[in-house]
Formats: sequence, C-alpha cells, structure tokens
Amino acid sequence: MNGRVPGDIWERLESILLLVEKPSRYLGGEWNAPRIEPGGTTVALAYPDVYEIGMSNLGLSILREVVNDMDGACAERVFSPWIDMEAEMRSADIPLFSLETHRPVSSFDVFGISIPHELTYTNILNLIDLAGIPFRSSERFSGPLVIGGGCGTANPEPLAEFFDLFVLGEGEEALRALVELVTRGKRDGWSRSQMLEEAVFLPGVYRPSSYDVEYLEDGPIKAISPLEGAPAMVRKDLVDIDRWLLPKKPIIPFCEAVHDRLNVELFRGCTRGCRFCQAGMTYRPVRERSAGQVVELVDQLERVTGYDEVSLCSLSSTDYTRITEVAPRVVELCESRGMTMSLPSLRMDGMSAGIAARLGKGGRGGLTFAPEAGTERLRRVINKPISESDMVDALLGAVRAGRRRVKLYFMIGLPTETDQDVEEIGRLVYRLRDAVKSEGMPPPSFNVSVSTFVPKSHTPFQWIAQEPMESVRRKQDILKSSLRARSVNLSWHDRHMSEVEGFLSRGDRRLARVVERVWAEGSRFDSWSECFDFTKWESAWSREGINPEFYLRRERDLEEAMPWEHIDFGVDKEFLKEELKRAMRGEVSTDCRDGECLECGVCSRLETDISLKGEWG
Amino acid sequence: MRGLFATGDRYLSEGRMGVSTMPVPEPLRLRVQIVKGGPARYLSHTEFSRALVFAARRSGLPLEYAGTYHARIKMSLSPPIPIGVTSACELVDFKLVGYISAADAERALNASLPGGLEVACCRLLPGGERPVGKLIDTATYQVTLPQGAGSRADWERAVAEFLEKKVIEFERVQPRRTRVVDLRAGVHRLQVVDCEGIDPANGSEAGAGVDTEKAVRFEQNDAGDGRGHSSDFRLSMALDDGTRGTIKPWEVIEVLAGMAGVNRNRWEHARVHRDGLFTRRGDRLVSPMEIGRRKPAVSRAGRKMS
Repeated sequence: MNGRVPGDIWERLESILLLVEKPSRYLGGEWNAPRIEPGGTTVALAYPDVYEIGMSNLGLSILREVVNDMDGACAERVFSPWIDMEAEMRSADIPLFSLETHRPVSSFDVFGISIPHELTYTNILNLIDLAGIPFRSSERFSGPLVIGGGCGTANPEPLAEFFDLFVLGEGEEALRALVELVTRGKRDGWSRSQMLEEAVFLPGVYRPSSYDVEYLEDGPIKAISPLEGAPAMVRKDLVDIDRWLLPKKPIIPFCEAVHDRLNVELFRGCTRGCRFCQAGMTYRPVRERSAGQVVELVDQLERVTGYDEVSLCSLSSTDYTRITEVAPRVVELCESRGMTMSLPSLRMDGMSAGIAARLGKGGRGGLTFAPEAGTERLRRVINKPISESDMVDALLGAVRAGRRRVKLYFMIGLPTETDQDVEEIGRLVYRLRDAVKSEGMPPPSFNVSVSTFVPKSHTPFQWIAQEPMESVRRKQDILKSSLRARSVNLSWHDRHMSEVEGFLSRGDRRLARVVERVWAEGSRFDSWSECFDFTKWESAWSREGINPEFYLRRERDLEEAMPWEHIDFGVDKEFLKEELKRAMRGEVSTDCRDGECLECGVCSRLETDISLKGEWG
Repeated sequence: MRGLFATGDRYLSEGRMGVSTMPVPEPLRLRVQIVKGGPARYLSHTEFSRALVFAARRSGLPLEYAGTYHARIKMSLSPPIPIGVTSACELVDFKLVGYISAADAERALNASLPGGLEVACCRLLPGGERPVGKLIDTATYQVTLPQGAGSRADWERAVAEFLEKKVIEFERVQPRRTRVVDLRAGVHRLQVVDCEGIDPANGSEAGAGVDTEKAVRFEQNDAGDGRGHSSDFRLSMALDDGTRGTIKPWEVIEVLAGMAGVNRNRWEHARVHRDGLFTRRGDRLVSPMEIGRRKPAVSRAGRKMS
C-alpha cells in the first residue's frame, strides 16, 4: 500500500466514502497495486467507466506497467466515479483523483483516457470536467496533456476538440516515447504547446488540431487538410507482443470485476476478415505470441495473482497456430493449481469442438459461440462462412465435454438481411438443440444474445446505412416470437443505444457540441441501461440542429471523404471497397493464414508481415 | 515463497497448489485472526472474504477444496462487520489437507495480504472443531466520539438510562424489509470508559484474547480522517453478533445519542472499532482463539461480563 504523498486528498475523500455505494471502488491499495514514489513524470490512466469495468481492461493494465517500468515515471489508475460518488464529490468540491496516491488528476503531467466505445463519450467529458480541466484543447494552456487511446481511436473525430493528442493503434511504444518526451520537456523547461508540437513526431501520435476540416454545403466533408507540415495521414503504431510480456503483476480488484480472471494474450490481430468487425481490420496484421511464453505466463501470473480462472484471449483464440498443444498444457497446469481455463467467444467450427473436448472437466459451465447470422447466405455476406454441420459438431463437442450452458451471439440489421434471415436464427437454435437431443444427450440451456449491427469506420461496411430503429424493433419482435422455448433465454440490445452508437461511430467533428450538450443535460454511463436516456440525445440533436439521419441512414458514396480519411490503420481503402462489392455478391474472402494474400495493404504499408509462431520459443 | 513448506523429504506429497506439504490423515482447521484497518476498513464482507480467498491461494497453504466443476476453498468467516468499522479480530477458518505450522502459515498469509489487512495470529485445530461461523455470538466494540458530540456526563447518563430499560424497540430499515428489534436484549455490556490505553480488567478486551500489541498499534495508526475525536472517554460495548442474532454498534450509538441529546451530524463520524469476537459460555466470554486448547489459559479465556 502506498504511504501518503504530498498533495493527496485522502482525508477529504475519506469524509465521503461512507456515504456512497461500494467505497472499495475508490480506495486503491489492492494486491499488486504499484508502489508510487513521489516525483518524476506522472501519468494518470483513466477508463471512462466504473471501477469493476475498467479493472477488466487488459490494455490499460499493460500500459500502466509500461510506464511504471520506466525510471522516473509512474502511472496511476483513474475510473469514472459512480453517480452517487460524483454527486458527493461535486458537493464536497473534491476533484477527480488517482487511485494509487489519491492526488488530483489536474496535478499530473499526462492524463491518458481510454476510449473503448461510443457510449462512453459523455463519461469521457465528465472525467475531464471532474478533473477541473477545460473541455477544449484550444482552451488549455496549463495542466496535463489530455491523450486518448484504445479502439475508439478508429474514428476519434467526434472527440477531436476535447483531446490534445490521440495515440493510434497499440500504445506500448508510443506511450513510452511520449513519457520520455514529457520528461525531457519538463527538464528543459518546454512550454505545453512545445511538448505537443514535438509529440506529433512520435509513432502513432495524432494531434487533431493540426488538421483543418472543411464541409460541403449539403453536409459531407469537402477536405481534411494538414496544417504546418503535419503529415497527410497519421499511421497507427504496432508492437511485437513477444517483446512486451505484460502485464506481469495484474492488480486484483477488491470487488469482483466483470472479467474476473487472469487474461493471457495469445495474439493480436485476426486474419479471418469478418466484414463487420472493426477490430479485425484495425489490429492487423496478426502477430502471435510464442507458445512457450503463453504457458510460462499462465504459470507466473497464477503465482502472483491467486486467480482461479485463466482466459486465453485474442480476437479468435481457436485460430492460434499451436492452440491444440497450448490448450492441453494450460489445462494440465490449471488442474495442478486448482484453476480452470476458459476461452472467449469461439468460432463455431470443427476446431472449437476439439478444444471444447480438450478443456475437459476443468472448464466452467458455459461456452460461447458467435455464429452472428442465421443463414449461410448472410454469413457469406459478412465473411464468416461457418457451415451448419460445423456448428452442430462444435456444439456436440461442447456438450460431450460437459458444458451445460451455451451462449450464442447473433446480430440483426446486417447488410442485405431479410426477415427470413432473422426468422432463421430461431430455427437454427432449435435445430442445434434437436441435434443434441438426437444424440441422446440432454440439450444444454441456450443463452441467445442478439445485438444490432452498427457500421464502423475502417470496415467494408463503413459506407452503408444503419438499419432504422422501426425495422430493428420489428426484427426483435420476430425473434421474441420465434424463440419461446424454456431452455432458450433470449436477450437483445436496446435499439436506442445502437442508434446513438451508430450516430457517433461514423461522426465528424461537428458532433462535439451534441456530446457536450448531452453531457451538460446530465447524461452519464450511457452504456448502462439504467442510466441511458435517449430523450437527452434527441433533444440535443434538435437543439444543436444536427440531423442524425445524415450520419445513420445515409448510404455514403464510395468516393466521399470520410471523417477518418487522414487516420491510417494500415488497411487500404481500395481493399475495403473490393470487400464491400464481394459482400454484396455474397462472395467469401479467404483467410490469409492459409497463404493467399488478399492485399489488404497492411503488411506492405506498415512494412511488416503476419507472424505465426510455429515453434515453442 | 513456495519453498517455504518443504520440510524433510520422506513424507512429502504434492498438494493441490503444487506446495510440498506433509499429508495428514484428517483435515486440519487453520484459524486466523486478522486485523482490518486502513483503507481496508471500507471493504464489504464479500470483498473482505474475496481478498482472503485470493491471499490464501497466493500463500500456497495446503487448502482443502470442495466441488468438482469449479472448486472453491473451504473456509468459514466470522460475522460481517459494518463497512467503515475497523477490527482487531476478524476471524477466518481454512480447512487444510496438509500440515503447516501456525507460524509458517502466519508468515505466508501476511506476505500475501493486501494493504490494511494483517494476520495477528494463527492456530491449528482439529478439522472437526466448530467453524468460527457457527461459534461466534458476541462482538465487542470501542466507540470514540467526535469532539463536540456531547460530554462524558451526557453519555454516562444515556448509558444508565439505556441499561435501566427492559426493552428498547428499534426500527431496523433494511433494503428489503423493515422490522422492529429489541436492542436491549442484545446488549450485554455497555459502559463509558477511559481512553487511556486499553485495560482488559475494565472490560475492554483488545483482540480476541490474543496479541494485544498488534491491535493497539493498528489503532494508533488509524486516526486518519482528520477529524478531532474525543480523547478522554469512549463507549465500550458487547453486543449480540453471530449465531444468536446481530445488534449493530451504530444502532446502539443512535439510541444512546438520542438519550444524550446529541444530534446525528455530531456523532455520525464516530470511530467504531471491533476489538473482540467471542462465544458466550454462561456469563463468560470465551475467545475462539482459545477454544479447544488442552490447557486453557484461564487468565485470558475466562472474563466476566459486567
């Protein structure tokens, strides 16, 4: 536990801790929490949601250790205070504080905020406001550099005015370089703007104020022009994950986190090329961690954490080259330590069945599969061509291995989807259930989770219109009436949330005022159904004179300049266009693991290559 | 850390956690007394128990597990303590499948506990002994009032009035139901005592009969909230807690404050410290750390309730 540090506000904080729900969210001092020495360059790393959610974020725990491993620099955690805590903090005039030393965030040198998804935008503004920092980058002349990172930077434009810098892509090396730069700047007495000017030369660093955006009269973007020698495009950064064996000391949260387990990364990127998937496009190319390191990490991390579950995570874990050797090794290790191994959502194919069987009795109750669509035709459109017989095999494998619960992820609102495709989701679930029955086994319970497709930037579907809410409602009704069995539990996403998500996901800088107004009206925690208030968004649209249909329902011209035109995640725009055409023709694109290159442009533009680890290493 | 328990070589077996321990024919019960203070006082009962599970797993103790699909360690906890209340004597029993000395267990657990939690002492018992969860029925508390929360005479008068009554009805509001409980029946000792040091003879037991030194040191470290607290007296009480029902210290303070004519905003920042957990044997308070000893240390175990 950290001792008291000059400038901390622990005493003031303590006076309100008993007035709020779950005071443990605000304590710090958990097992493995870093010991912070006062002085040096200070970095506050924030997650714009409550402690239990933010503590599950692997990216932030990696970045925190990157900084804490540096000499003369330290990183501390910051999370959004829950609504009751925010009220108490505001009435007692307590600013946003860090968890390790309880110092005000405004006293840090760098304030890094993770941008996980669109529904956290109001929370991001709230973090900046609670820290007592002016909202707009142009209004800041002192105080910490406000930096955004994470998968939300695939289109950071609606937040562009609020951030001094964004780090595009993977942040390990970029953040390290940035902290070194700030340390040098502090030593040499640089001004704040001098530091920002120097920072743009670092890999992956995007300074939004270095770009001017002009709009056409009817709305779309006319041009995005770089100012004062800024590059025409800012390219994401990426790292070799075998060189970054982090986190080494994951912090054990006091209360149960949403992903309450040890996470060990198998690889970054994904070669499948599902056309709806933003991460699958923006984290290319695939880079695997060597098998020996995976097993070693599980071994080491169990000792320093005490977790009883380990998850081998990645975008598609069964694609890992050596999964059939690594999984049994990890299971064996788990059995000797009283642990279980789990895998995140799996492709429903033959490989998954084999893995499910190998997981053996050590596995917990459930397995999650993501077929995404009800018909084979639609699965070809989204480039996730899993055959129904593979699904049956995967499910039988899971049930034979003792899984009593199966979770299935589907999407509605996909391009070219018809009502028949939606009805087929219900029939597919029943066919899967019957397939288990016909093998003489009791069918597992099915949790069917259906989300609404939201087109995202840097994907082949970035040009298409989002499904209108009315039609989403109709499709949800079809699902409700077609899936009524007792063994099937159906859940779906709030379509109003998808509407806001879609509005922001392909938005431009003009949306900053909408986000600010919604925040000012009191919106917080928009991704929490109990907090989300769609009427606040509707009223902000009308009061700011913004037509959401322009962002949501407009089929973009293939030649139109996108708000993220200057943000380069490596994937070639021509490749995305080609993929869109193939999608509309129902054609499948191959997996580049199999050797055939589709020329998505990542490897040539980023001067890299996919890295599959055939050896144990 | 893990090599700590490697003792001899003939009797070694590989335990579940990969720790070499001596196999035992019957499971053992490791009883641990834990000091809860600093920021850890804000942990809820569930969070406290979670912290112990993780610490126990990290410590490499030869823990006994139950369950097939998802095995959980076998443990038993003393009754919950209100959030914000510090304690010198939280108790937990772990079932063990191998032998480890109490001193080694204490060292291993202490090296694995997060800040604010500290092992005061450990002892080994036969596995068949009653678990702490089914043993404890009384908790003792020391309450230090904030400055300005009435005079010593006010509180002494209130205590006398409280003790005179046969029944004190109190409306307990809980998330799902509100009911009336009799506070008087659950209060076994209530007095205003001097603050100077801790005087076991005066009825204010420090710790569950063991390791007074650590408990006192912890309390002194703990004056962290920057509020002035009354320095010449405190309230000392023994309340029902556990198998025979639970009276919360705050409920007694609220009723007493009403009798003493002290407003809520004056007393609500009182510091409450749980300093003992006991099982009642007749009119004696017996510490679970003493039960089952072949030669009970009479001087410690047998205390009169006033």
